[in-house]
Amino acid sequence: MHKALLAAACLALSSLPALAQELVLGAVVPLSGASATLGDDQRRGIELAVDKINEKGGLLGGKKLRVIVEDSGGRAPSALDAAKKLVTVDNVPVVIGEYSSGITIPVGQYLVQEGRVHLNIGSSSGKIRGLGDGSFSLIGLDNVSSGFAAQDVVDNKWKKAAVIVPNNAYGQGVAEQFQKAFAALGGEVVTTVMYTEGQTTYRRELQQMERSEPDVYVYSAYGKEAATINRESFELGINATPWYAIYLSMCTSDADPKFIQGQYGLDLNYIGPDGAAYEAAYKAKYKEPFKTSFNGYGYDAVMMAAAAIEKAGSAEPKAISAALKEIGNGYKGATGDITFDADRQRSKQPYLKLKIEDGVQQR
Amino acid sequence: MFEFLIHVSIMACLYGLLSLSLNLQVGFAGLVNFGQVILFGCGTYGAAIAFSHQLGPVAGIALGIVFAVVVAAAFARLGRNLGADYWGIATLAVAEVLRILANNEAWLTGGAQGVSGIPLLFGDKPRPMGPLMTLGLCVALLIAAWWLCQRLTTSRYGLALKLMREEPQLAASLGYDLAVLKTQTLMVAAVLAAASGFVFAHYITFVGPDQLVSSETFLIWAMVIIGGSGNHLGAIVGAILMQFLFAFVPFVKDALGLPSEYVAAMRLTLVGGGLLVFLMWRTQGLIPERIGGKQNG
Repeated sequence: MHKALLAAACLALSSLPALAQELVLGAVVPLSGASATLGDDQRRGIELAVDKINEKGGLLGGKKLRVIVEDSGGRAPSALDAAKKLVTVDNVPVVIGEYSSGITIPVGQYLVQEGRVHLNIGSSSGKIRGLGDGSFSLIGLDNVSSGFAAQDVVDNKWKKAAVIVPNNAYGQGVAEQFQKAFAALGGEVVTTVMYTEGQTTYRRELQQMERSEPDVYVYSAYGKEAATINRESFELGINATPWYAIYLSMCTSDADPKFIQGQYGLDLNYIGPDGAAYEAAYKAKYKEPFKTSFNGYGYDAVMMAAAAIEKAGSAEPKAISAALKEIGNGYKGATGDITFDADRQRSKQPYLKLKIEDGVQQR
Repeated sequence: MFEFLIHVSIMACLYGLLSLSLNLQVGFAGLVNFGQVILFGCGTYGAAIAFSHQLGPVAGIALGIVFAVVVAAAFARLGRNLGADYWGIATLAVAEVLRILANNEAWLTGGAQGVSGIPLLFGDKPRPMGPLMTLGLCVALLIAAWWLCQRLTTSRYGLALKLMREEPQLAASLGYDLAVLKTQTLMVAAVLAAASGFVFAHYITFVGPDQLVSSETFLIWAMVIIGGSGNHLGAIVGAILMQFLFAFVPFVKDALGLPSEYVAAMRLTLVGGGLLVFLMWRTQGLIPERIGGKQNG
């Protein structure tokens, strides 16, 4: 019945009868606004997965896969416009998205309420956990990455940490979760600084942290701001104390090698069996290395949804949701093994422990 | 499609309220408010704070109105010693300060993570009755707001506002207390914006500081300028037009088979380009202000 409806919707929408042979999914990502670079990278991952599936002959016996990617503009109202269009007009069973927690949450709530499948590929706020049945996270929420970082810091025998993160939903989540995990392991967060994005200098923040005399500086920052923080910590001489980055490549992509010499950190693991092929495909298509660390989740979301549709033998949201729960147990994704916990959130994420030597990340 | 149209209409009505509110300030009283979004935010946070303290929606709207009136009073107080343009900059600053407060005072506002799970207003009603009832409420609010604004501005009071806009010294010399006029206008406008914010919070079901960035204020400004500053109907038409254009740009993309990036670019062009076109060639907007006529009677 639903398949017939889907086909009818496709027919009604398009003047080309050939499109009735399509299977359509939806995605809402920020293609304009402050997070446009990230959103565009998410779109690349989605595109690569669609290409791969269609190369292999499509889904459900030869139906071509199409993902309608809508722009959220980085605004909740526009994102909801897009999600409602995808659900009520395009009648897609699965919607992938968004990037900012403040947008993912209302979009996810709406999709759950409509009985569709929601795949979170970019938000790490702990509140995503409560969205309800039908909402899955392919990205580890901030407790996962912060927990790993806390363990790694403790393993390095550092007891007193000073934390600096951006003052937004991501940063507040990381700071809170890191503090919790670090305290449970016997460490102490001696100071937490939330920086305002887009400042030209972070000297005041760095000096405030320095006064607490930490064993290690734990930070997570976006490219341009991270470059400023790294340069100024070098200038102030506080880089003599170890620095630990949560998402090392995000934190060091724009930095001069001499400012980040010797930094430790974690990053996503792209070296799974599927990961290497994916990385090669990305480089071949876009002629550059990974622009951000978020494209892989878009790829995995489409691949997992496709696998779930094949397994269920139907594009019905309930069937896809049930199949996803079965598949989401050691699924080999481009971002590593994907296993969902009881709340359908990615429970573990394989991270790399890295150290920077002479400007290069060493494992 | 039907449900999508209901959704777009609800959003259009909520923006219509905001646009009416801004138009009352800018178009009639000459109050160049660049902090409009925070008046809206008073409504959203009223709903959010009432929800997170289990106080129910009635307390939410009451709280929203109280916040809005307090902020409006603060805005008006700022205005006493400042010229119109400087006052505009000050409102922008106050709005940013309040947004940053909402971002940081997690104990009250939920911080950057916001407040989620705010219930739908008619969530217990079967579909499509729930969304239809929400739309009914929004339309009723919009009509009531329009009636109120119309009553205010077609009376002698409205003439006083216009006089204050055009010739503040003359208005003062005729015995009008400009500070009182400004405060009253701001408070009425703030309550309209807060009502919009309250319904928005219960419709989107999530409230966070990212909804209050200053670019949202300028979107409302674009609606007023395109629709016609100084005309209530113009403000509403501007809001509805922009909202429908925004919502239907993706369909143009689907029909023409354009890549998704074009939607993003097209939206930006629509707001920016549309605003420029109107500012340069049709400053009075789609529906111009009416001067004289019935208002003199």
